[in-house]
Amino acid sequence: MSDTQRHSAFGAVLRREWRRMTSRPLYLGVCVALPLFCVFFMATIFGSGQMERIPIGVVDLDWTATSRDITRTVSAVPTFAVTEHYADQQSARQAVQQKKIYGYLVIPQNFETDVLGGRQATLSYYYHYALLSVGSEVRGAFETVLRPLAMGPIVTEAVALGVSENAVENFLVPVTAQSHPLYNPDLDYSVYLSNPFFFILFQVIILLVTVYAVGSEIKFRTGDAWLAAARGNILTAVAAKLLPYTVIFILIGIFGNYVMFGVMHIPFSCGFWPLNLTTALFVVATQALGVFLFSIFPAISIIISIVSMVGSLGATLSGVTFPAPFMFGPVYYASFLFPVRHFVEINQNLLYGDYGFAYTWQNVAALFAFLAVALLLLPRLKRAILSHRYENIR
Amino acid sequence: MKTSDNTHRGPLADIAAIVAREWRTIATSYAILLVLIGGIFVYGLLYNYMYAPNLIRNAPVAVVDMSQSALSREYARLIDAAPQTSVYTAAPGFPQAKELMKKGEVIGIVYIPDDFEERVGRGDESVFVMYGSTDAFLFYLAMQEASAGAMLELDARHRPEMVVFLPQDDVQAITQTPAITVAGTALYNHTEGYGSYLIPAVLMVIIFQTLLMVIGMISGDERGSGSIRRFAAGGLSLGRLARIVAGKTFVYVMLYALFAVFLLGLMPVVFNLPDIGHAYEIAMLMIPYLVATSFFGLAASVFFTDSEAPLLMIAFFSVGLIFLSGVSYPLELMPWYWQAAHYVFPAAPGTLAFVKINSMGASMADIRPEYVTLWVQCAVYFVLACLAYRHNIRRAFRPDSGHEQKKSSAR
Repeated sequence: MSDTQRHSAFGAVLRREWRRMTSRPLYLGVCVALPLFCVFFMATIFGSGQMERIPIGVVDLDWTATSRDITRTVSAVPTFAVTEHYADQQSARQAVQQKKIYGYLVIPQNFETDVLGGRQATLSYYYHYALLSVGSEVRGAFETVLRPLAMGPIVTEAVALGVSENAVENFLVPVTAQSHPLYNPDLDYSVYLSNPFFFILFQVIILLVTVYAVGSEIKFRTGDAWLAAARGNILTAVAAKLLPYTVIFILIGIFGNYVMFGVMHIPFSCGFWPLNLTTALFVVATQALGVFLFSIFPAISIIISIVSMVGSLGATLSGVTFPAPFMFGPVYYASFLFPVRHFVEINQNLLYGDYGFAYTWQNVAALFAFLAVALLLLPRLKRAILSHRYENIR
Repeated sequence: MKTSDNTHRGPLADIAAIVAREWRTIATSYAILLVLIGGIFVYGLLYNYMYAPNLIRNAPVAVVDMSQSALSREYARLIDAAPQTSVYTAAPGFPQAKELMKKGEVIGIVYIPDDFEERVGRGDESVFVMYGSTDAFLFYLAMQEASAGAMLELDARHRPEMVVFLPQDDVQAITQTPAITVAGTALYNHTEGYGSYLIPAVLMVIIFQTLLMVIGMISGDERGSGSIRRFAAGGLSLGRLARIVAGKTFVYVMLYALFAVFLLGLMPVVFNLPDIGHAYEIAMLMIPYLVATSFFGLAASVFFTDSEAPLLMIAFFSVGLIFLSGVSYPLELMPWYWQAAHYVFPAAPGTLAFVKINSMGASMADIRPEYVTLWVQCAVYFVLACLAYRHNIRRAFRPDSGHEQKKSSAR
């Protein structure tokens, strides 16, 4: 086959695919509308990204100046919004059960008298740990605000005796910790999750669309016409068929990056090219995984449900929520079979410091390997199309 | 085999025929059986297995000890002893530690400055610095807990030595003043584990998503192959449409009642998930949940034109549903439109209600808002499902309708 012939074959498949894509609103919906919806969803779902004004309650059983002072101090914490004051612990507990509040503080009876009288006094706080992410924020904020209060009586006593506040604090806390969350100093949820989770949702769509685009040829028995347009060359057929999707998905990926980093101002340390080239590579690798999985058993009705499950696993195995190295061995190693895991590794490297290619080349290489593996199975795909064996499997 | 529906049958016989037909469709389709077996059994087990480690334990941390003193070594031992972290290496300097962090071999760095012990020795406040990576919040949390715990322990141990820096006459008075005790208590999820927090929600979303996929595959296939026309034989009155929707829903609910016992009954016991809910409440919750989900799926069938296309529209949103349920991020902090979307998908209130019941031991009264929402959804989506089926059946009779495969094969 000469070069011009191959080009015309490529063009023919491309034109044919474009007609297929424009013949059904489905393609516009799943290739453009759903990914854009994902961008919008992940960009807005966390609100400001800060866990602020979380509803909590206060149970003040003391009703004194001291207890009101503590209540005011707690209300002033930006993490909290004291939405309710309860008369007893029972009703506060009930409100947590109904998820009206995410935690509460109990100031016991005779609190002020005990503190002034030098007796043991206790402040108890409760936080919601069935909803772990909120609960840990509530606990952290309570600890931050109540620990200094706890030392209050001793400091007051010492200052009254003429000891400097500084000296007594050094006595109480000789060693202090300074904690620095790197790259995301506010522990902002948008910064942490918006970008990786958009791509986690996106890869499910890419996988399924790829399988659907290839598989519908077999399902609707147009495989022969498809191969004929490509002059029998399966590589031309698949490459030209998937090229329009690749272009659309890469554009949407770049748009997603623009929304997150340009509009939402999520900080990132690398420039335009590393970020978007990674996105492009990720799109192609994910498509390649789709082609590979489909070629194993080219019956769309069976494989598409498997692929949808594989895609959903990506959310866990990307290691964004629960770190992959702390999962069991088999799960940890299996996670490398998912392009999204490599993509997240590269992207976190780029966003959190841009350490350079030396630290990500394995992941980049792995993404390229997905392409090679898909190529290996193309002859099998061609035989499957020509044999017509998979057309009636339901 | 009699395939045409008899118009003169009574309503119950009509429903029975629809039920039998739906059973046969499910039982004879590899694809649907695969979704059911793969989605329910494999997924149910796999998710539990993946999150079974549950907690971050012994995460590697680099300690940069510039002080090289007894106190700094004591501190490093405490960090190592903390359950969350272990000292991966005592790196000779900060650049080396940073290199380890770039390679992802450690999750954080503890920097102990060279005057660490000196400052304590002269009665000053001594500081150590902790840098934690934030590429997973759980890492940072683990590191913070470990270093805060080590700090409290070290302070308690060395406070008596610090007494010498206070005026001798006042020591007695100061040390005998008790501090206020601050006691924090976690409600529910006593293991404080990540899996035991997330998996109950995931199980409910699995039920929703797989049921939606099955409905999508069945109703999409009815339209793609044109077999939906068989329903037209009984007329298109609202009563007849209600019988179609009821018959199909009956099958789905029956099937999923069984799967729910596996996912929500067996899995928590096998994998030690929170399981403090009462079976009665869970059963009462599952009735509107499964019914609303079935009606929702049937109503959505206006978008399903063949048996594979629905999966393209359903599968990607599993994670989104967990967010919308309000389990992983508080609903109160989301923008109003996502708070509203919480009431649109049955998965959102259903998941939240299940977490309330089974992880928090809520009663029916405690899940009232979610429960009412689910029943309202049942009512709304029932009507929409009937209308959707009428629309689909009518479209199937239009000359230009639903024959993508013919159009594309003509090409």
